[in-house]
Amino acid sequence: MVRAVPGWLHIVGIIFVALTALILLAPLIVVIGVSVSESQFIAFPPNGLSLRWYQEVLSSNAYLNAAWISIQIALLVTLMATAIGGAAAIAIHRRQLPFSDTLATVFLSPLVLPTIIYAIGMLMFWSSVFGPVTPLTLALSHTAIALPYVVRTTLAVLAESDPYLEEAARTMGANRLQRLWFVVVPQCFPGLAAGAFFAFNISFDEAVLSLFLRGPTLTTLPVQIYSQLEFSPDPSVAAVSTIMIALTIVLIFVIDRMLGLTRFASA
Amino acid sequence: MNDRTENLLLALPGILLLGLAFFLPIAQMLLLSISGPEGFTLAHFVRFLSDPYYLNILWRTVRLSVLITVICALIGFPLAYIMTKVGPKLRLGLVVIVILPLMTSVVVRTFGWMVLLSRSGIVPELLRDTGLVGRTFALMQTEAAIVIGMVQVLLPFMTLSILGVLTRIDGKLEEAARTMGCSFLQTIRTVVLPLALPGIVAGSLLCFTLSASSFVTPNLLGGTRIQVLAASIYKSVTATPDWPFAAAQAVILFVGILLVLVPYIKLTGAKHG
Amino acid sequence: MANVRLTDIRKSFAKTQVLHGISLDIASGEFISLLGSSGCGKTTLLRMVAGLESVTAGGIEIDDRDVTSLPPEKRDIAMMFQSYALLPHLSVSENVRFPLRMRGIGSREEQQEKVAAALETVQLGHLSERKPRQLSGGQQQRVALARAIVSQPKVLLLDEPLSNLDARLREDMQVELIEIHQRLGLTTIFVTHDQEEALSLSDRIVLLNAGRVEQQGTPDEIYNQPATSFASNFIGSANLVPVEITDSAQGPVAKLEDGQVLHLDPNEAIRGKATLALRQEDLTLSANGMGLKAKVRTRVFLGARNRYVMSLAGHPLRALTANDLDFANGQEIALAIDPARIRVIAD
Repeated sequence: MVRAVPGWLHIVGIIFVALTALILLAPLIVVIGVSVSESQFIAFPPNGLSLRWYQEVLSSNAYLNAAWISIQIALLVTLMATAIGGAAAIAIHRRQLPFSDTLATVFLSPLVLPTIIYAIGMLMFWSSVFGPVTPLTLALSHTAIALPYVVRTTLAVLAESDPYLEEAARTMGANRLQRLWFVVVPQCFPGLAAGAFFAFNISFDEAVLSLFLRGPTLTTLPVQIYSQLEFSPDPSVAAVSTIMIALTIVLIFVIDRMLGLTRFASA
Repeated sequence: MNDRTENLLLALPGILLLGLAFFLPIAQMLLLSISGPEGFTLAHFVRFLSDPYYLNILWRTVRLSVLITVICALIGFPLAYIMTKVGPKLRLGLVVIVILPLMTSVVVRTFGWMVLLSRSGIVPELLRDTGLVGRTFALMQTEAAIVIGMVQVLLPFMTLSILGVLTRIDGKLEEAARTMGCSFLQTIRTVVLPLALPGIVAGSLLCFTLSASSFVTPNLLGGTRIQVLAASIYKSVTATPDWPFAAAQAVILFVGILLVLVPYIKLTGAKHG
Repeated sequence: MANVRLTDIRKSFAKTQVLHGISLDIASGEFISLLGSSGCGKTTLLRMVAGLESVTAGGIEIDDRDVTSLPPEKRDIAMMFQSYALLPHLSVSENVRFPLRMRGIGSREEQQEKVAAALETVQLGHLSERKPRQLSGGQQQRVALARAIVSQPKVLLLDEPLSNLDARLREDMQVELIEIHQRLGLTTIFVTHDQEEALSLSDRIVLLNAGRVEQQGTPDEIYNQPATSFASNFIGSANLVPVEITDSAQGPVAKLEDGQVLHLDPNEAIRGKATLALRQEDLTLSANGMGLKAKVRTRVFLGARNRYVMSLAGHPLRALTANDLDFANGQEIALAIDPARIRVIAD
């Protein structure tokens, strides 16, 4: 906080920020703490120190299968959302379509609609039109809710690029495809990359659609954790959760490198 | 090929995907909510709106969502404001603290709260030790647990919405207000708060929508006894299963959210702009 | 190198017409400036030559070939943008090679030779591996110039390329543009709102006003013989004084609105209501000499010179004087001007 703030307020501010940070981080710290506990029971602060629950997780078929399905779906979602969302963002950014504004609203709408409403619709529609839910169904639904993020990050990057680049490329003899590939797509790259990481994170962590569209052979990691929590939680849940937190930290680090976290957070 | 064709081709995969896997499913759900064995019916809505059990669920959902949204705004605004005023290093740290929970699976975070709030967890223990509450005090399976958990889940959304608006405010405005004789708190009230209002509104809408429609955290922290609307929908889909009724509840949830959002947008829009 | 012919070019955006029939013949190798204030249509006209803006009516020929409906990538032109429009993800040399690569001119080795030569021309050979963001504004500008000349285009289009540079760099670049034009002889169309830039660079200036050609001619003609009051005010920001010209025993005289009289050149032919264009630097001020009576309102110190704002017949009048001339505000002074330097414009 800068000059000209009353002294007492300064102190209140520091306490406030510290408390808020504590509330925000407390559940994560607790999960990490429980995961290294030696005890049979979930307890915080942990009793003793061991990695036995990590061993447990790594030898559990239920967790490993769920993780494998989650990774496959998340990668597919990342690919689809980035390609489809990036292309759409370019079309929206150019504003040459008569319904550009509507298009932007359409692509951002999955962000506004509560996921649970969409999840019921997807479940009902898919099973009545295409039959049983498959991993592809889940991947498509995750792509739909990840698209707005890719569109937004890409639009944000395009908005900052020189608006005359495409015209300049035309005067230099670049045809339609050359302009797209050599001029526009490279401009999008930081936005596409950030969007891709978001898409992966959304799909990998998503619980609502995954719960509605779950099946005996279609259980993602968050669904597996949810089931454990509902019935018989033991510290192995904490170990899996800690692994997911670690993955998130890595993603945040990469996004910060790609795009600058502060800039992204206030975009 | 002209510009229009090229851009249409670029947008087409997305339009197809959203059409087939987003808008059609929602349309199907709307249709299902008003269809019975003999075609069109409002029976599902009547059933919900005439049963005190469900009305109670609806009322609880609205009550908790409003409370959660207000708490998020009360914490989120000062937090976002402080984030704009600190140095770049500390700001990055705070952004990480806000984004890390946001990007962590809601299942994982709720698990953390289950540990913290459980009978032998730190929070009830602390409260019992200070003597503020009785020996039998418990937090799990209460509305308070839902509120605590949901505030932590949704605070990042609120903070980031407000932060986005605050960073675009010209810092000179505050300095100008100070030179015109405003005290620090007067400056906040007369300059910063009005300018941040769009962010607070956007953040509140987001928080309200998300808290009214979430069921993972309420289910795990509130248990089956304290149900919210979204949890009831989930039950109708998986346990019962009664899809048309689930669809009708989803429509009620959606309409309910709209009923709150529209006047809110109008109210704040009329006052500022 | 090629000639450019514009025939009765018109342009409308929605219902507003911004260009009202412009015809221009630009000779091969000519350096021509489109000069005017913002909104006069000069940039629109340039973009139409580039093919970036559609033509509402009229025709464009480059090298005696009708290109009116040809897209920019097929026109064999090069354009320098105000923002430079360097591709941020490509290095300096890749940026300069871009037009050769897109047009498929020559083998990779030949392209690289041309790139090296173009970068030498703008004295940037040593920075070829840098990214644009690592360069200063002036250097980015040179890269844009190298990229524009590397493919030997038929026409070089420059859209206010110097406006983002500070005064010193702008002077350097002007010299460089002149030298490069002399060396390569490219037909060049230069858009600017800066009259000095237009005067110092061009073979010919086309002065545009509200979508019409106000006057065209060599810099000398435009400066010394402005044809309209707009031209004389725009070029050299001359003072415009409304008068009535009559004959007297000593030849033609101009009567100001307050009745004061100014003697004109004996050969002046215009009579009746007219406007005098008096250049700021042509006015001689003295405390009690002969001439028109004016009242000092403000002095602006400009370093090497002073600018006085005076009141003459109720109109503000500006004069540039030596910096040792010192008058007080409100002082009555005398104002003289060589009749030969007075430009008379018929109303």
